[in-house]
Amino acid sequence: MTAVQKRVLVNKIILALSTLSAVIAIAFLFWILTVLVMKGVGAFNWNIFIYEGSPPGYPESGLKHALVGQAILVGLATLIGVPLGILAGTYLSEYGKNSKLAHFIRDISDIMMSAPSIVIGAFVYAVVVMPMGHFSAWAGAIALAIIMIPIILRTTDDMLNLVPGTLREAAFALGAPKYKVIMDVVYRGAKAGILTGVLLGIARVGGETAPLLFTSFNDNFFTTDLNDAMPSLTVTMFNYAISPYQDWQQLGWAAAFILSMFILGLNIVGRLILFAGKRK
Amino acid sequence: MIDKIFSNLTRFSALLILVIVAWIFVELYNQSLEAIHAFGFDFITQDEWAPNLEKFGAYSAIFGSVASTFLAMLFAIPIAIGVAIFLSEIAHDKIKGFFGVSVELLAAIPSVIYGMWGLFYFVPIIRDIFGGMGIGLLSAGIVLSIMILPFMAAVTRDAMNTTPDILKESAYALGGTQWDVIKDVIIPYARAGIIGSIILALGRAIGETMAVTFVMGNVHHTPQHITDPATSIPVTLANEFAEADSSLYFSSLFELALTLLVMSFVVIAIAKFYFLRKERRGV
Amino acid sequence: MASIIDIKDECALHVRDFEFTYKGAAAPSLKKVTMPIAKHSITALIGPSGCGKTTLLRSFNRMHDLYPGNTYAGEIEFEGRNILGAKEDLIHLRTKIGMIFQKPTAFPMSIFDNVAYGMRLQGIKNKTELNDRVEKALKDAAIWKEVSDRLKHDANGLSGGQQQRLCIARAIAVEPEVLLFDEPTSALDPISTQGIEKLVIELKERVSIIIVTHNMQQAARVSDYTGFMYLGELIELGHTEELFVTPKEKLTQEYITGKFG
Repeated sequence: MTAVQKRVLVNKIILALSTLSAVIAIAFLFWILTVLVMKGVGAFNWNIFIYEGSPPGYPESGLKHALVGQAILVGLATLIGVPLGILAGTYLSEYGKNSKLAHFIRDISDIMMSAPSIVIGAFVYAVVVMPMGHFSAWAGAIALAIIMIPIILRTTDDMLNLVPGTLREAAFALGAPKYKVIMDVVYRGAKAGILTGVLLGIARVGGETAPLLFTSFNDNFFTTDLNDAMPSLTVTMFNYAISPYQDWQQLGWAAAFILSMFILGLNIVGRLILFAGKRK
Repeated sequence: MIDKIFSNLTRFSALLILVIVAWIFVELYNQSLEAIHAFGFDFITQDEWAPNLEKFGAYSAIFGSVASTFLAMLFAIPIAIGVAIFLSEIAHDKIKGFFGVSVELLAAIPSVIYGMWGLFYFVPIIRDIFGGMGIGLLSAGIVLSIMILPFMAAVTRDAMNTTPDILKESAYALGGTQWDVIKDVIIPYARAGIIGSIILALGRAIGETMAVTFVMGNVHHTPQHITDPATSIPVTLANEFAEADSSLYFSSLFELALTLLVMSFVVIAIAKFYFLRKERRGV
Repeated sequence: MASIIDIKDECALHVRDFEFTYKGAAAPSLKKVTMPIAKHSITALIGPSGCGKTTLLRSFNRMHDLYPGNTYAGEIEFEGRNILGAKEDLIHLRTKIGMIFQKPTAFPMSIFDNVAYGMRLQGIKNKTELNDRVEKALKDAAIWKEVSDRLKHDANGLSGGQQQRLCIARAIAVEPEVLLFDEPTSALDPISTQGIEKLVIELKERVSIIIVTHNMQQAARVSDYTGFMYLGELIELGHTEELFVTPKEKLTQEYITGKFG
């Protein structure tokens, strides 16, 4: 065999191997998705939205408590995290720019984005749950907000940077003060991008379980008391899945399905908005 | 006037990030003090974790974190590089788009779902093949590798795609095959980016809680065999934090959290500052 | 109608009724191009951007095959066969027809390894042979003096002009029959450009050269034959001095006098 023939053969083998790894990867992920959809759809019924949690064995059990709790937790986290994230991103893009401080903040926030979320939970336990003396929705929402801020900050910074400098200059030339320029011109120009960042941020924290385990904790019953432990889809899913009761496990799969659809939906909508924005 | 208020508001929000990060370190350290005083270095070298005896050694949890992450990397790296090669060099445009989007969407699926799947569908297979409980280090490593795979493949592909087309073409123009171009041009050119992406994925894997909590076992013994049940730092925290009943127990858990934070911070910082200096990578 | 000169000398390549269509495009980007390429001489391709000159150049070593979905029609004859055939061995073809790109493309490896790369691909492992041929190629590319003391250094440390000559050394080290130059000086300063042009002229003793250039003066300075292309067609091919002084086609004349382009 000549050297060239050998190279051609090696090439074929490597290409086959990497195609194989793509097939393996997709097969596993497809397997997980199939399980999620089959089990989720199988366990799905409208009672889920009507009833709250019950002891195992009761037919009138659902996920109303967890769905509402999840919405409250994520909603609260969004209310705290989004303004802070957008303002901080605005600082980086419009005021800090290339200063050392701005770069340092970017770096630290990038690292935070990959930091273990369970550690955030431990931190919030120490600074919120321990002083209050009990688990609370507030604690859970704060933990989620801390996870959310770096994501929003980062996308805001990037998206504002895409707004051309000449647009700002044009507004300044009309005598507008800086905050007006930012509000009226820069934010408007980066609207789609910021919205995408917010949706992806919500999607990211919506799937978080670890930081809620000992902040908002869990509850098997419906509650809207922010000063009390609050159920979430993720923690409920976890508790139900590791329980020995089949009907609870079923509800766990239903919760997993609903949550995944919600998160995939947010991701898709976020990308579509960005895509539509770029088209224009 | 309003201008001043607005600019200060943005500055305050930006600085708040730094304050929160510093506060996390300080608070976890303060909460750990009791355990640090009680055990000193023994905390990380001893593997006896006996809450009823008030003895806390984190060795088995640290070992479990490192070992499960190592296993996950062992499985995920070759496959992720294979997928990245497939996506950047082999697949036709349509497949590329389809795979690319699915990989990114899969990276968004909550890790708790990977954990549930692992417990109900993967653990039984491991049990059938290797005997025992099925729950343990091996299952945790594999589930973790599957969870981290989409992210790792996506960032590795992005790193490979930074190679200019013209550079690849000139290797083809000398009679190179695709593999020649990959190994001689793309991998050397994108080396820093590829290594950085992999380390970044490692940093995420080491702090991952939910994908492994279901399938690891939370047993505080250093496993003798790869299929033995084990624990890791996040698994211990997830299982025991809400149940801790003494201040030393709490303090030990906080020290675990601090250890994990430092470990992942260091790993991620290495990836960011050493390998990914030029680019800034996404969520 | 196009005015194509009949080349009496031996030809390196013969393009006949060649058509090329990019993936998904409704119309071909090259239409019925027929053109002889004289051996051991320099043929320049000129024309406004988008006229298809680079597309034609990249057909000679089947570079378009890297991106699936592109289609060829007609014939390009090289060494007695049509290289557009499905069975054509592209690896072999590309060692016979080398290419130099718009920008220097030094690989991320040492200067020596860059030049040795193509030979190693062909399976040459003998150290003395590699050393000798690398040295010869670097000398032929007029860069040996500048790099002989730092062959193990990273090639990316060289200047743009040096890198481009390194790429030429790399291409001639495998002893091709034809060299394709795709605007080789577009990223270089005037002095480096001069060096490259001089080198190209020297090289024609050993290889047949096709050069795409956006610079008419460059075509006039270096080439023996010039082809003028417009909207995917070869409008005129002639001896360089004739084409620039007494063009046969009106379009050619308008282009070289700067009426459009």
